[in-house]
Amino acid sequence: MTSTHRTLTVLLAVLFAVSAHGSAEAQNHPRLVEVRVDSVVASDTNGGVDVRLGHPMTRRLQGLFNYNTYRLVSHQNNHTKCGDILEFTLPGGRILHVQPRAVDGDMIVMELNLFDGARPMMTTDLKLRNNGILMIGGPRYEQGMLIISIGASSADPGPGSLNDRQVASPLGSRTH
Amino acid sequence: MAECSEIGLLLGAFEDAELEPHEMQDVAYHLARCDACTSLLGDYASIGRELRSTVELPSLVGFAQSVQKRIDNLPVPMGRRVGRWFGRLGEQLNSGLAMGTAMAAVAALTVLVLTPYLRRSLSPSLGQALVKAPAVASQQLAAAARDVEAAPAAIAVAANAADSGELASDSHAVISKLEAEMPSVAVWTEPRSDTTVIWLPDQQ
Repeated sequence: MTSTHRTLTVLLAVLFAVSAHGSAEAQNHPRLVEVRVDSVVASDTNGGVDVRLGHPMTRRLQGLFNYNTYRLVSHQNNHTKCGDILEFTLPGGRILHVQPRAVDGDMIVMELNLFDGARPMMTTDLKLRNNGILMIGGPRYEQGMLIISIGASSADPGPGSLNDRQVASPLGSRTH
Repeated sequence: MAECSEIGLLLGAFEDAELEPHEMQDVAYHLARCDACTSLLGDYASIGRELRSTVELPSLVGFAQSVQKRIDNLPVPMGRRVGRWFGRLGEQLNSGLAMGTAMAAVAALTVLVLTPYLRRSLSPSLGQALVKAPAVASQQLAAAARDVEAAPAAIAVAANAADSGELASDSHAVISKLEAEMPSVAVWTEPRSDTTVIWLPDQQ
């Protein structure tokens, strides 16, 4: 065996060891996923746009729908590691379960379950681009339609970040 | 029978053995019966012996070399010299061309044999690219799989965007499964904001 072959063999062994170590690190530190849920009521009551929605959300809503009134009902923000379920309580007794399953490159694999009380309304498996937004609309609420904006973003936890960060209870959420 | 006058003319050549075989035979047949010609042949022979004994032969040592030297020193015409120069030049060109062709062939073989090793040893980026090739291929396959997964949603998006005259070219969301209690669910993507919408018509 020549010196070049020996060098290549050693290099490949080192690369394999480094990649295996990195994979083990990744498995020991699953990635955190932050989920943001905004509940908006859209109607034609000439009430204008809630300033709390912010300019980007307002433009997004006006680009998607033709209502003249948008009001932010609740804003919830929580994070968890892949595999756990986040529960969000929505207006009108609806409940949204979000279960991030994995982070595949720039996409976040997740499952969404929407309930009307105890009755399941919708189940979907999807991949949402990091920092992307999915909207679920249609259910009636008060004088309009309920629009649920779901945003997700993954953060590289790094070694020990799960222990360093305050991870909320998977079934807990914060409502404004 | 030949006359003595005819045989006499041939005796000198007969003595030197320079006649044709049939002439030698005729002269010898005549001499056997003619004492006058035999005596005359004896005279020729004695004269030859006397001459060879009195004349000193010059030394021939170095004769050939001296002759060649004189030939070499003879002046050569300009045309012949120019011809010789061109001849030597042509020989040199032919030999140089043959040598160059051989060297080029050796160089080409060397390049062909050593190129893979040189690429590995001199281009680490290429080596890294080769190492990363399977990962890149798997990413491309995953992207293709995502595209396939996105196809149903894209069809639904296109159907819903037809009303507004817009088509979704890209999406932030790839929906692989969607189950709802209501019979009709609309899914579309707004390309300007890259937002995917699932619309659940309220049945109440």
